[in-house]
Amino acid sequence: METNGNEGGHRFSQKSIAQLDEIITHYPERRAAMLPALWIAQREYDGYLPPEALQEVADRLERPLSEVQAVASFYTMYNFRKRGRHHLEVCTCLSCAVRGAYEVMHKLEKELGISAGEVTVDGEFSIAEVECLDFCGAATVVQVGDQYFGNVTAENVDMLLDQLRNSDSHTPVELADALVKIMTPGGSEAAPA
Amino acid sequence: MADNDLVNVKIDGIAVQVPKGTPAIEAAKKAGVDIPFFCYHPKLSMEAGANCRMCLVEVATPRKGPDGTISMAKMPKPQTACSLPVSEGMEIETQTEQVIADRKAILEFLLINHPLDCPICDRGGECPLQNNTIFYGPQNSRFIEEKRHFPKAYPLSKHVVFDRERCIHCARCTRFTDDISGDHQLAFLKRGADMYIDTFNQSKMVSKFSGNVIEICPVGALLSRDYRFKARPWDILSQKSICTQCSNGCNIKLDYRVGRLQRVNARLNEAVNEEWTCDKGKFGMDYVSTDQRLVTPLIRRDGALQPATWSEAMDLVVQRLKEAGKSVGAIGGARCTNEDNYILQKFFRNVLKSNNLDHRLGTYLPPAQSGLHARLGYHTMGNAIADFERMKTIFVIGSDLVNEQPILFLRVRKAWRFKGGRIIAANPAATQISEFADPEVTYRAGAEVALLNGIIKILAERNPSAADLPGYGDFIKSLAGWSIEKAAEESGVSAERIRRIADAIFSGETAFIAGKAVTEHPDASAVIEAICNLAVLSGNAANVNIPVTQCNAQGAMDMGLLPDSAPGYTPVEEPGLNTRQMLEAAADSNLKALWLVGADPVAHYTDADLAKRALGGDTFVIASELFLTPSAELADVVLPVASVAEKDGTYTNCERRVQRIFKAFELSPDVHPDWFVFADASGRLEQPLPYFSARDILREINVTVPLYADCSPQKLGNEGIRWQYPSAKSDLQLVPVEYRPLAKVTVAE
Amino acid sequence: MPETRILLKHRDEPGIEDIETYERLGGYTALRKALGMERQEVINEVKSSGLRGRGGAGFPTWIKWDGIPKNTNQPHYVLCNADEGEPGTFKDRELMLKCAHQIVEGIIIAGYATLSKVSYIYIRGEFVESAKMVRKAIDQAYRKGYLGKKILGREDFDFDLYIHVGAGSYECGEESALMSSLMGERGQPRLKFPHAPLPVIAGAWNQPTLINNVETYSVVPHIIVNGGAWYASMGTQGSKGTKIFSLSGHIAKPGNYEIIFGMPLLDLVELAGGVTGGNLKAIIPGGSSVPLIPAEIAKDFTLDYEASQTVQYRMRTMRLPVVGSGGMMVFNDRTDIVTLMLRTAEFYAHESCGKCTPCREGTRWLYKILYRIVSGGGRPSDLDILMNICDGIDGRSYCALGDAAAWPIMGSLKHYRHEYEYWIEHKRSPLGDNFVPPVPNRLNLNFELLPAR
Ligand SMILES: Cc1cc2nc3c(=O)[nH]c(=O)nc-3n(C[C@H](O)[C@H](O)[C@H](O)COP(=O)(O)O)c2cc1C
Ligand code: SF4
Ligand code: FES
Repeated sequence: METNGNEGGHRFSQKSIAQLDEIITHYPERRAAMLPALWIAQREYDGYLPPEALQEVADRLERPLSEVQAVASFYTMYNFRKRGRHHLEVCTCLSCAVRGAYEVMHKLEKELGISAGEVTVDGEFSIAEVECLDFCGAATVVQVGDQYFGNVTAENVDMLLDQLRNSDSHTPVELADALVKIMTPGGSEAAPA
Repeated sequence: MADNDLVNVKIDGIAVQVPKGTPAIEAAKKAGVDIPFFCYHPKLSMEAGANCRMCLVEVATPRKGPDGTISMAKMPKPQTACSLPVSEGMEIETQTEQVIADRKAILEFLLINHPLDCPICDRGGECPLQNNTIFYGPQNSRFIEEKRHFPKAYPLSKHVVFDRERCIHCARCTRFTDDISGDHQLAFLKRGADMYIDTFNQSKMVSKFSGNVIEICPVGALLSRDYRFKARPWDILSQKSICTQCSNGCNIKLDYRVGRLQRVNARLNEAVNEEWTCDKGKFGMDYVSTDQRLVTPLIRRDGALQPATWSEAMDLVVQRLKEAGKSVGAIGGARCTNEDNYILQKFFRNVLKSNNLDHRLGTYLPPAQSGLHARLGYHTMGNAIADFERMKTIFVIGSDLVNEQPILFLRVRKAWRFKGGRIIAANPAATQISEFADPEVTYRAGAEVALLNGIIKILAERNPSAADLPGYGDFIKSLAGWSIEKAAEESGVSAERIRRIADAIFSGETAFIAGKAVTEHPDASAVIEAICNLAVLSGNAANVNIPVTQCNAQGAMDMGLLPDSAPGYTPVEEPGLNTRQMLEAAADSNLKALWLVGADPVAHYTDADLAKRALGGDTFVIASELFLTPSAELADVVLPVASVAEKDGTYTNCERRVQRIFKAFELSPDVHPDWFVFADASGRLEQPLPYFSARDILREINVTVPLYADCSPQKLGNEGIRWQYPSAKSDLQLVPVEYRPLAKVTVAE
Repeated sequence: MPETRILLKHRDEPGIEDIETYERLGGYTALRKALGMERQEVINEVKSSGLRGRGGAGFPTWIKWDGIPKNTNQPHYVLCNADEGEPGTFKDRELMLKCAHQIVEGIIIAGYATLSKVSYIYIRGEFVESAKMVRKAIDQAYRKGYLGKKILGREDFDFDLYIHVGAGSYECGEESALMSSLMGERGQPRLKFPHAPLPVIAGAWNQPTLINNVETYSVVPHIIVNGGAWYASMGTQGSKGTKIFSLSGHIAKPGNYEIIFGMPLLDLVELAGGVTGGNLKAIIPGGSSVPLIPAEIAKDFTLDYEASQTVQYRMRTMRLPVVGSGGMMVFNDRTDIVTLMLRTAEFYAHESCGKCTPCREGTRWLYKILYRIVSGGGRPSDLDILMNICDGIDGRSYCALGDAAAWPIMGSLKHYRHEYEYWIEHKRSPLGDNFVPPVPNRLNLNFELLPAR
């Protein structure tokens, strides 16, 4: 991991620091960059937010530690434990539920040998149940990293897993990276990850 | 507030007039209507409030129809009275069928996950949740599902224990740590019904004010570790008192049971501590009821202190005082009441004919004693504590405020947090004020005068009318060698930041607060003179504050515990010895008897060695004490005296507010207030000082000390009274100050 | 009745994400036209169009625009609510994905009309693909001088648009909670009093703030180009223009359909190919927050803001909306209503922010009772309790999430009480086994034990 020789074991790369500095200028107050900073931290800390990551965000935004944790824990997309290389978030909300989301979920649990909230032993997969992903037209929807997969059924979920096994994309880090780029002006022109 | 800002509202048909924008819940209070609540707290910000929904009421406001007729329009949804600002003509109903049903519903919601373990809850009996349930709640619970479970009695810090199951998520404690104390220790984690309060990563709660969250928690979720399971609220008695831990004079309640102090709670006094306490005060008062308290007199026999009867001890004291004649002195009194001190000095001056009296133990010389009274007056704070709220700028110099004057710190923070005040701080090291001070500078230790000269230089240039101030000529000449760059160089504070400080001071009324780094500076009076120069130059001569530190140090001065002035600062003809002189005299066997009145020079005097020699020598030493302190151990007679909880009287706090304390209980028949000891001694010397109560003495003080003329027992009331000078006191003189870098100053006294 | 595509006109146009294509198809002419108008004229145009907010509440848009103080030197903000989280709704997602420039143009016009200098679009964190398109549109607009300093040469109009992405919270779609989240706090709603009822006086950073939904902004360029009167010529008395409905569930052709207000509910179902897998049982017409409508009475409803259902309880009569956010979920007769309501309750219990008592405790309680019923532990008294809880939440909570959690259950208790009773008596579904699979209970608290200290 690249470090910047900063105090207190901080891990943000120079690029991240520059991005954060840029994002801070979007707001009238430094504090407003909290969500972006947490996204950057999630990217820098391997797709989740250990206490050190929260500490770094607190230091960089000059906010109390307790506040950073309070904010981060409010949102479901910040991870506090390491997820699988592919984190499958299955929408089981109404439209998906009536179109077989629970069957997809149970199939996944059986196939991977884990239940929602857990990570496979090899660290490849983790699954979670999420609330409406708002792509109900393509129920059942599964989000993996930065990508939505629509029309997933208990029958084709194997294909999805196979495809993911052979793919290095769609990781939690990639998701965070994509979102940080989205918040950075000119982000659409940057080279793809 | 002007009359035209008042609005007419009706609460349950009762008409009241209140300032516009008052929360409906306060307007209802005024109408005598009780609206139940949990999360509302007038001192906490509303932003994170209005969440418990207990105070829902129905509201109608007047609407003008198209034809100009006015009719009452009912708001479609019930409103929270705590966050609803009243407006002209508003009508609020708190007793409708709907409101009653809503209150029931809210209480049912709050109770479904509450453990209902009231029988073993410390809060039982004084719990808003219990109270509101009795008056407004449902009779029974229909909740048959599993409740939320958390570990019980989870320790948050040395003082606070947390029962998360009992929490009703009112956000009072989190708002307290954000809005009031500023230590941001507690916060909500997660959300929805999983939401709970915690510190960061379950670390220890670090706060100077953690005790307050125990008091503002409306249920038994946050509890005192000290008080837990010690008593039931209906089983304790309560007495009004004043905290003795520092000079702020915070109003407290002593809760006691069978002669033992059980806990300390804050008592509302808007002018002093509002309703807060610091942890030193809330948890530090238990010295009152420890087993180490002295309960019988001790006399040195065969080299060791041994118990004696009161008469034996007093007869010995009187005999030795008689032998000593005028060669007697007394040190102490800074922690005694005004009444104690008044009788102490009267006993020494009138009966023993000695002016050897001093209450000071440190190096710091308050204005009354350091030649500064010409400029500062006899007080140590120019401003009242409550004044800080309205200051545009507050300049804290050389003070770790949160440790030195915790409650003053809260006021200063309040000025910043709620009133738009600007705080600047200059300290030899960073302090907890960094959170909000801007700029906050650290200067090279000892270089206060250099820093101040830099600021003065800028202000002098900006304020042409300064030239009219008395003493300006000499003063400005003395600054000739100073430039901002030189000030920056000497103090280690950049020129740019010195300019920003000057800007802030220039922008409006500024108060100055100096603390220990100034008062314990070897060249303290030079630093203070420089602060005064800055204050005078910026038009803030009346706003210099260098608070004393000991509980009643201001009162002790007022009562004449000084070698050169009698009560009310009347000069005496033949000044006596000061603390150092007395100790030196005792060490050289030139003082026959020395009375320590709640003073422990061995532990607290700057020169401990001198203190030991003084007390360990030939001088007959009497110690009036609560404990067998290191100094008392060297004494010849030790007299047990009453603590704050065991006597009546008054204290004068740092802003010279005189406040009453009341006796809560008695420790032992042999433990008396200090004044009684001197009155007893004078009786035994056949020159009786016939007083029967602290009240009597205060009445005499009202007559003999003009500054205290108004402070009669009847008038002091709950708020106390700040004594005032007959005429405004502040000398606008500018005086040259010489800057001597620390290395060149030798400690002198 | 067919679709009337205004906002979705270019949804299938290849290359529409590029500004050149958008301009070729008439994009940014509305902005040019608006910049040639007085600010008040722009607002008047929006007023005469009769446009109402598409975020769910249907609040008249011009009142917000007009409410921003006109001669203020304070900074003030334009916010675009792209936190689409309402179950069943996916119109904003498609608008961003396919027609991002249209939104950007609408926001710039709003900025001009309200004299703002800074705006934010708050996009939910899950919408990566859509957000990328918005990023691209914004970057291109900057390059073309539609954003930035001195827009189109106007000395007095500087305007910036930033993207703020969320991180997983439905509640952040509520406007005041969105502002909290934007300001870097927990996504809990903020006090609206004394600022009530709108944030136009004190919103984000306590400054005047305009907030509208993605779809609302998307309409604006069309109103400016064609005139408010043109827009107002479509629709009903109280609901003008077109609205996008997102159809999902047991429907043949799920997707977004843009129709003129006033269309009969069942016509839209037909338009989307009709019900699959059985006969129609019930429709949730406007996102999970509006109560469902049983097939028997569905023919009585048209799609407009005037349509409502009433629920009577104790001393209260509640008129509950039909259109909402436009997320229409269609259910066939193999759907078990109680299980469906359990899933709805789980959603609200999971998304409740926790700030206020009725919603925090009530939503979880609803969930627990429903869970018990479908686990075979129902009691006859439960139905009364359910209704009672809903009554205690509705209108008593801090924000409208509480209301939204209560309404569907109140509605289902009105129309499908017999199904609940069946469940309670027989401990199984009236449909036999063939219904929505039981929802696993994942809302049980799972706290790691706290370490001893
Ligand atoms: C719980 C809750 C969730 C909401 N979610 C959204 C949302 O996802 N998107 C949205 O545009 N409006 C949402 N709203 C409505 C907004 O509060 C607000 O009314 C809307 O953004 C205003 O825009 P409009 O006037 O254009 O409709 C939600 C409201 C509530 C109470
Ligand atoms: S209703 Fe209350 S708890 Fe629910 S989301 Fe709104 S404020 Fe939060
Ligand atoms: S006191 Fe009003 S909502 Fe809590």
